[in-house]
Amino acid sequence: MTANTKITADLFVTCVVDQLYPDVGVSVVRVLRRLGVSIGFPGDQTCCGQPVYNTGYSHQARILAKRVLEQFKDSEYVVVPSGSCAATLRVFYLEIFADDPQLLTEAKALAAKTYEFSEFLVNVLKVEDAADCGASHEGTVTYHPSCHLLRELGVKSEPQKLLQSVPGLEQKELEGAEICCGFGGTFSVKFPHISEGMVTDKVANVQASGADTLVSCDMSCLMNIGGSLNRQESNIKVRHLAQILDVESE
Amino acid sequence: MTTPKSGSMPGTPKAEFLQSVRDALGRSDVPPAEAYPRLTETPAELEQQAAQMRQRLEENLPALLDKLAQMAALGGWRVHRASGPEDAIEYIETVARGAETANVVRSNQDVFNQIPVDAALTNLGLTVTTVLRDGTTTRESLREEIRRSGIGITGADYALAETGSVIVLPRKGLARLVSVVPPVHIALVQAEDLLETLDDLFLLRRLEYHQQGGEMGSYLNFITGPSRTADIEMTIVEGVHGPKEVHMIILG
Amino acid sequence: MPEIKTQNFSAASAEAILDPKLRRALDRVAEGFHVARLDRIEEVTQETWDGWKDQAREIKVHTIEHLDYYLDLLDKNVTAAGGHLHFAKDADEANEIVAHIVRTRNIKIVTKSKSMVSEELGLNPVLEAMGVQVWETDLGEYIIQLAEETPSHLVAPALHKSKEDVAALFSEKLGIPYDEDIYHMAATARMVLRDKFMEADLGISGANFVVAETGTLVIITNEGNGRLCTSAPRVHIGITGMEKVIPSMQDLSTFLRLLPRSATGQRITSYVSMTTGPRRSEDEDGPEEFHLILVDNGRSKLLADPALRESLYCIRCGACLNICPVYSRIGGHAYGWVYPGPIGAVVSPMLVGLPKAKELPQASSLCGACREVCPVNIDIPKMLLDLRKKTAESPDSSLRSAPETERILARLYAKLMSSPRLLKMAVKFGRFTQKLERMTPVFSPLTQDGKWIRNAHIPILSRWTRSRDLPTLPKQTFHELWEKELSRDDS
Repeated sequence: MTANTKITADLFVTCVVDQLYPDVGVSVVRVLRRLGVSIGFPGDQTCCGQPVYNTGYSHQARILAKRVLEQFKDSEYVVVPSGSCAATLRVFYLEIFADDPQLLTEAKALAAKTYEFSEFLVNVLKVEDAADCGASHEGTVTYHPSCHLLRELGVKSEPQKLLQSVPGLEQKELEGAEICCGFGGTFSVKFPHISEGMVTDKVANVQASGADTLVSCDMSCLMNIGGSLNRQESNIKVRHLAQILDVESE
Repeated sequence: MTTPKSGSMPGTPKAEFLQSVRDALGRSDVPPAEAYPRLTETPAELEQQAAQMRQRLEENLPALLDKLAQMAALGGWRVHRASGPEDAIEYIETVARGAETANVVRSNQDVFNQIPVDAALTNLGLTVTTVLRDGTTTRESLREEIRRSGIGITGADYALAETGSVIVLPRKGLARLVSVVPPVHIALVQAEDLLETLDDLFLLRRLEYHQQGGEMGSYLNFITGPSRTADIEMTIVEGVHGPKEVHMIILG
Repeated sequence: MPEIKTQNFSAASAEAILDPKLRRALDRVAEGFHVARLDRIEEVTQETWDGWKDQAREIKVHTIEHLDYYLDLLDKNVTAAGGHLHFAKDADEANEIVAHIVRTRNIKIVTKSKSMVSEELGLNPVLEAMGVQVWETDLGEYIIQLAEETPSHLVAPALHKSKEDVAALFSEKLGIPYDEDIYHMAATARMVLRDKFMEADLGISGANFVVAETGTLVIITNEGNGRLCTSAPRVHIGITGMEKVIPSMQDLSTFLRLLPRSATGQRITSYVSMTTGPRRSEDEDGPEEFHLILVDNGRSKLLADPALRESLYCIRCGACLNICPVYSRIGGHAYGWVYPGPIGAVVSPMLVGLPKAKELPQASSLCGACREVCPVNIDIPKMLLDLRKKTAESPDSSLRSAPETERILARLYAKLMSSPRLLKMAVKFGRFTQKLERMTPVFSPLTQDGKWIRNAHIPILSRWTRSRDLPTLPKQTFHELWEKELSRDDS
């Protein structure tokens, strides 16, 4: 365990967490501090630009991406509690700045030190056992891997490793886990009928799993699936992985 | 726009077509020969690779025959390992009895010298026609014969262990239709036909092509199992347009 | 070219989603092909499979980069084998070539094995207008020919039809008693088409690959109709896109390993038929004439665009369709033209013209499953994103797929997110509005506990909240929590 190594990580909290799920950010900070990480938070951060980038507005996305490059240029590590935002910083910024050698260099530097939350714990902090961050969770949980986390970042085993070692937690398998939940950013409101079809199937699978809580590393997915679960008056809770690992979180 | 004169074949002249491809690629000329590595192997090099291949096949023959039988069965062939010519003939007789037909067509390949099917099948009351134009028959009459037949019997030019396939090439005395029109097809495979991989097969074909000055015959067909479809509700139906029943008799 | 209905995508997809029968049919296909495909990969190991995919992509990258050279070589070798190669710059020209052959060779009856490119050309109506009998012989194509429909999948054209549909169709068009038994229906098709194979003057096929080294056309099939169409008639015409060329016969190994497994989950199909020119004098049967028509029809547009060039590596296996959560819900017809699914969302707009089909690249969550299953490692999401970029801020208004408000909103979003101060003000305003809505719901009704927005009347918000709840703004943003409580490191 690396409690003695003083790692400093800057948090890119993401606009979804900042505006709608600040408790997730709080849990991320608490978990990382428990693991001995010193947390920075560049205060001018807002959004990585993904919503406009994925809709094709690369000029607008570039404006926001440049701010991120600037705000995190001196960071040792950048930790992001979202697979899709981490993918935006690490993969899509390289596309955005492909035509500008100077900015591309900066983007590559940022990419090299950017980690999604679960990745950071397992691959950088070398957490082997979730008990090390004081985690404990009574209940049954099922895990939804978000598409960008899985396919853009290749993060598959890290969240599982953490979940499986949480004392008291029982994990249930999710049928069709790797099928997209139907969010896709503006896709969800541009083609709502298709998005609704996809989330309906995801919700059915979540309900069939028998778990009382759905866990993911992306709040945008959980906003989508959770919003649908809530409409159906379901008792199933949705939680970010950080909240499961944060013993102070409900 | 190229306007064809009436009576002449329409189409864009090759030079013009290739120029538009070059324009799309942003090039004005064709890169030098070194840019095309795949096609620079000489017949001598291919022959050397073929020699190595033959050695590998020889050393592994029993295991490869087993693999052929296994993959062929997985592919839908009914596989029979014949202990000898008599055993092969007996198997063919059994198939013929079950096939409810009066007519059989076969190719004119060497394997039939060892496996004399004509006598056996004639004894069962069946007519056996060899598909070979010999002065008394024409392509049309042979085609008619194939259409009337319930069983087609061929040898194999190659048998591919990797996929469990019989490979058929054009030759005098073999019509393509023999192995696709009759509802039952029997393929006689000899140990010497055996190849291990797709690479082996294509190596030999390319070798022949280049050795023959750019000729390798009009077709090559792989046959792996019966004809099949899943076009209606994903339900597999066999014997759609091709044979419903295919037998591979492995000699050796 | 066949009728273009890509403009109707929104309406067509909304209708298709509500069709439970279509959904069942799509589930059957996705399930069948997908599961079998996974089994095949497991059998050979992921490592071997990945190696094959890398090889395949390498071959395609090389070939497309040198397409002019390989087309020239292909032409030389098809000609040396006694065949004729024709270059067609567009659909009309390709159809004229076929028509010319039909007229000059006195063709009366044509049998066709499956060819998506011939669908792209709208060939059948052209031939029928000339008084030629055209018989589709692939069972799925035969069914949709009778139904006067277009294919809804790259590999299984009639998958949207239930057995009841087919029984009713056969009964109506063939004048036979209604019979739902699938085996009987296949037998009926066999019986009807048997004679046609033998009577046909001309057989038309597509091509999965054409080999430049030897001038060989390769088709990969299961039913046997492909063999009959290319062996029995006196003339054989193969029609395909110019991107189907591969350099050497040796390259076929890699593609024969990948295509059947990716398409249907088979280790290999029942037949692989390779044709090199017409029959030779010693052959006992086979066509007297062989023609190969290579079609551009807009492919050079894809070739010319570095961002879209890799769409030409596609081997038309359909794996991306089978895995796509969008295709699995709306089926092929909703896409409105010949090529559906993820690859179709790239290719169709570029071939029919982006202004007509600009919605297609938008209808994706960019989940990346298509890229994961593609046997040639084509980055479809990247191309979809590129098409979105082309349409979003294009100065050409015919290309913009969304109303002007979307552009304005995107600009506003960037402005807002560029200014933390402005954002803080917006949040304050949002909280204020929420308080009002709690007291008197006007635009966005809240739930009793005030935590969720439901059935909002405001545009955009309404599209989400009509079926899903949206959380209301919390009391504090993370920024505020950080400033107030978290910035001291107490660990």
